[in-house]
Order: sequence, then C-alpha cells, then structure tokens
Amino acid sequence: MPPFLRNLFRFQESGLLIVIVGLGLLLTVFSGTVRIPEFERTPDGGRRRVFTVNADGERVPAFVVRNKFLNAQNFAQLAKDTSFTAIMAVGMAVVIIAGGIDLSVGAIYALASVAGAIVLRHYGPDGAAAATAPWLGALLGMGACVGTGTLCGLANGGLIVALGVHPFIITLGAMAILRGIAFVITKGQSVGGFPEVFRNLVRFEVGDGLSVVPLLVMVAVLVVGWIFLARLAAGRRVYAIGGNEVAARFSGIRVERVKLGVYLISGLSAGIAALLSIGYYGAATSGDGQGYELNVIAAAVVGGASLSGGRGSALGVVLGALIIQMISSGIVILGIDQNYSQIIIGSVVIAAVVLDNFNTWLSRRRLTQRP
Amino acid sequence: MKKTTTLLLALAGAVLATAAPRTITIGLVAKSQGNPVFQAARVGANDAAKELSAQYGMNIRIDWRTPNEEDAQKQAEAIEQLVLAGAEGIAVSCSDANKLTDAINRAVDNGVPVATFDSDAPASKRFVTYGVDDIECGKQVMAELAKVMNGRGIVAVLAGNPNAPNLQKRVQGVREEAAKYPGITIRDVYYHKETPQDAAARVEQVMQANPDITGWGFIGGWPLFTEDAIKWQPGTVKCVSVDALPAQLGYIRNGTVSELLGQQCYEWGHRTVQLLIDKIVSHKNPPAVKEISALIPVTKTNVDEYAKNWAKWLPQ
Repeated sequence: MPPFLRNLFRFQESGLLIVIVGLGLLLTVFSGTVRIPEFERTPDGGRRRVFTVNADGERVPAFVVRNKFLNAQNFAQLAKDTSFTAIMAVGMAVVIIAGGIDLSVGAIYALASVAGAIVLRHYGPDGAAAATAPWLGALLGMGACVGTGTLCGLANGGLIVALGVHPFIITLGAMAILRGIAFVITKGQSVGGFPEVFRNLVRFEVGDGLSVVPLLVMVAVLVVGWIFLARLAAGRRVYAIGGNEVAARFSGIRVERVKLGVYLISGLSAGIAALLSIGYYGAATSGDGQGYELNVIAAAVVGGASLSGGRGSALGVVLGALIIQMISSGIVILGIDQNYSQIIIGSVVIAAVVLDNFNTWLSRRRLTQRP
Repeated sequence: MKKTTTLLLALAGAVLATAAPRTITIGLVAKSQGNPVFQAARVGANDAAKELSAQYGMNIRIDWRTPNEEDAQKQAEAIEQLVLAGAEGIAVSCSDANKLTDAINRAVDNGVPVATFDSDAPASKRFVTYGVDDIECGKQVMAELAKVMNGRGIVAVLAGNPNAPNLQKRVQGVREEAAKYPGITIRDVYYHKETPQDAAARVEQVMQANPDITGWGFIGGWPLFTEDAIKWQPGTVKCVSVDALPAQLGYIRNGTVSELLGQQCYEWGHRTVQLLIDKIVSHKNPPAVKEISALIPVTKTNVDEYAKNWAKWLPQ
C-alpha cells in the first residue's frame, strides 16, 4: 500500500472521510444536471438576469447547466445547513467524552435564539432603541444570545454537580424548563426585525451568492474544539473522566470542575449555533430547535464519540454532522421520495457507525500486531 | 455510409429531443408530514400535476419536502435545497413567516416563483397566497359555537402550534367574535403539539381541570383526527371545529361535535400548483395576490354527501 494511503487509514477519522468521499462520488455521478438561471452583478452590487439571443433572434433568459451536487452553491448550502448541528455537536462531543449527556441543547438553542432576538429587535428598525447605533444593538444581541446559552450550560453543570443527579434527568428537565421560559417570554410569537448590520454580517456572501459565515464559524469552533480536546491538559482531563471517573478522581483531577466546564461548553456551542440561526433566518420562536438534541447526539455518535465516554474528537463529530446532512441533502438532490428519507438516514447512520468501528478495530489490530 | 449513419443519428436525436416533454418540478413544502390536511394537499398537488401535464403536454412533477414535525428552519432549508435542485416553482405553508421570508425572497430572486398556501408570509416576494382568511375563520368558529350554545357558556379554544401566524390570527378572530356575546366567557386558549394524540390529551387535561367548560372551539381539527378521542357524552359539551377530515366526520354523525368547518385542504395543493404552472408556463399572474378559499360547513344534514369527496382526496 502506498505510504499516503497507509497514513490515511491510520488517521482516526479516516472511516468517516471514506464515507464522505463515497457519498460525494455517488451524488456527483447520480445527481444529474440542473438548469439554473444565469445572473450577473450590477454596478450597484445588485443582481440581474443575463439574457441571450436564440436562433430565431429572440432575446431570451440565459441558463447555466451544472451538476446538481458538484457546484459551489450546493457546497455552501451544505456547509451552512451542517453548521448549526456541527457546532452544537462539538459541544455535545465534549460532554459525551466526559461520560455525560445533554438533552437540553435544542431547548438552549431556542432560549438563546429568543433572548438574542428580543435584544436585537429592541435595536432593530422597528424597535424602541432604533436610533441607537445599530452595531451596538448587534453586539448586545450577540452577547445576549451566546451569554444565555453559556448560562444555561452553566446551570445544567451546576445542578448536575451540586445534586449529584444523572445528567440525563437534569438535562431532560432543563429541556422542558428552558423551552417553557422561551415560550413565556415570547408569548408564542415569532421575534424578528433585527438591525440590518447584524443580518448582513451573518449573511455575508462571497462570489455568486455563497454564504460563508456559518462555514467559517463552524471551522473556527472545530479548530478550538480540536485544540481543547487534543492539545490542552484540560481536554485530556475530559477524556480521563469519561474513561474512568473514579481513577480520574484518585489521580487528582477535580472532576466536578471539569463536569461544570463541559456543560458550559455545550451551552456555549448551542448559543453560537443559535446566533448563526437567528442571523441567517432573521427570526426566533420558542419552537426553534425541537428535536435537535437527537440530531446533535446522532452526529456525535456517527462521528465516533462513545456514549460510554472517553472516546471521540471534534473533527469526528463535525464529519458526522456532515454525513447526516449530505444524506439529507442528497435525498433532495436525487429526487428520492421523501417518504423513504427517514429509513435511508437511519440506515446510513448505522452503516457509518459500523464502518467507523470496523476501521477503529483494524487500526487497533495493526497496532497490536506491530513488532 | 458514414454520412447516412450520421444523418440518421442526428435525425433520431432531433426526434428524441422534440419528443421529450419538458419536465417541470414543483417543490411542495408543508408544515409537517404527519398532519392529514397536508397529506390531502399533497394528493391535490399530485392530481393537479397529472391534469396539467396532460393539458400542457409536459411532465409536471411534485417534489414533496416537508419536515417531519413543524420546523421553520427546516422549511427554509428545504426551499433553498429545492432551488439548487432545479425546482421551477415552490409552494409552501409557512410555520414561521419571519423565518421563511428570506428563503422565499432568495428563491424568487433566483427566478423561482413561490406561492404560499394555508399559512402566508405576507412580507415576502411570493406572488400569491391561497387559503382561508384566518381572522374570518376564527370569527366563524366562534359565531357557530355561540349559535349552538345559545349565546351562553364557558368556552375553551384549542389552538395548536403557538408560533404559527395563521393560527394566531384565528385565535384573534375567535376573541373578536366572542366579544359580541356577553354570555360567553373564554376560559383560555390551549396550545399543544400538532399531533392528534397530543391534542386529544390536552383536551382531556383541560376538561378534567375545568369541568365547567360547556363549549370548545377547535381552530384546527387535531384531536378529531383519531377516533374516540373525545370523552364527553354527545350534547353535553358543544364543539365546533375547523377541518372536516374523514376521521372527524364520525364525531358529527354521533353528535359529539356540532359542526365542522372544512378547509379546502385538497385545493391547497391542487389550486396552488395550478397557479404556479400558470405563472411558469403562461407567465400569467393571478387576479389578486390573496386568493381566499371559503370554509365548507359540515353538519349532520350534509355529512354523508361531503364524505364522498374523500374518496378522491385521500392518498391511494
């Protein structure tokens, strides 16, 4: 085997990469082409349709033909759709590696969205503080959103440590409480009308309408998550607790402090995802993020995080989220009847985990056989 | 010989090219998969696609992309994905108008016309919206309920998803109409997850906690989508409900529900696809941006006649 391939297979997340490349190839080959209207930039930065002259001398709108999967717009869309889950999945991975679970991330996402949205609307064009500098409103709204997420995570961690109750119970309760708070403060209404400066920042586009901010934030969270877990002593403590909490305690690790920290990180990541969501979609409701906890846990597990703790990586969970999103988008691209989508997603999730486990087993076998 | 073969191949290519009918994909994004009213809309859309395909000599395809449960963000993602996958028109029932406005506008800016049905996004660039006038719908529910309650009693309102703009307007309509009846008190508006089981459970909880309630206004028919969901004896509590799905009709027959106000949910799909194809193929805009569909009252007198419609409207 060539050294490049040998190194690739030794790489912890190589199984996931193989799945992604395989899915990408399948989608490229079978997606076919699509005719998309052609646009050009106007001098004032707007967009307008491009026209051409046909064989009969008529002026007709121009179209470009491209592969449905293999094009920049689709990749930007894929990255954006993945980012919300992937960002939360990095936080969830830290919790899962520490041997915990956080069922409240969807509700934290909703409450953080609503908290940020209320502040942003206050400074928005129809808000009471519309006259204030919009960037100030944007900053305060962003702070409220991320801060609320972090505080919720801290509260979860605090209760788990202080009460000594299983995190499943605490975060299950928090899921209902936090969503209830979001409902009470919004009275069930959608909250929108944010300062343009905030919307433009999150929806900043490059090239032909490619929204890159969610992608960049996802990459930043991934890098920070990777450094924390793989390069810092604090990250190694998380693995130690997840691997064997009693042994970690006897080796001098302050288990409670680490646990508090991991739930704080989970809340923070939900707050960051919520911030991107309200910036991109322009509104928040108490119903946001329903069932996202399961998507996030699925992404983490597909990405190699072990629910029994002590194993997982930031890159793995981001790749896990990407796989799930690729399948979901692929179903649309291939025009597969949506009735079958859940069956397909569930099957591929199981297949991805099996393949990843098989790859891990192979790696371990190679290590044990090495002289 | 080579020339003849080339000529024949070119001719065959030309014949195939002219014979292949144009394919138009219409994306259909409803609020949730499990809600039967949207399944009826899906059937309506598929039927319209078949009829219009024959009429225009083209292949019209409905691409159903609806979240399993209500989720405006997933709906926005579905719209964006449909645009990238080459849909030429999109019909959407908005779970949250604020959240979907940008996605709709972006689709329109990319040359894909969007129509809304059932629940609108009024600030968006959709070219038409089809559905009931929600405030009037709420008023009609309350007016009919007040009629069967002889203008007196305590009323509870069942209201589904608190974030849905159309349902909020119906609640507003109920309240406005109730203000006209001094003998009627609204105990509260009760929200729930829009599944038959959750809705039925909410009605039961409310009745146990408030046995003095004498009338229910369901601004969506959720609890009646399953049989035997309502525990009160026929006639003891008066009830008027929006929607008239097959499962609901039994409640009219046994007297548990006084009147149903049938939304034309089959037409949500059928009419919206027709409007989209008119726009895409004939470049024809509807006469008005808002196309109102009337509610069809269903009582004991016309329930059997109305039931026959469902043979056509249900997925086969």
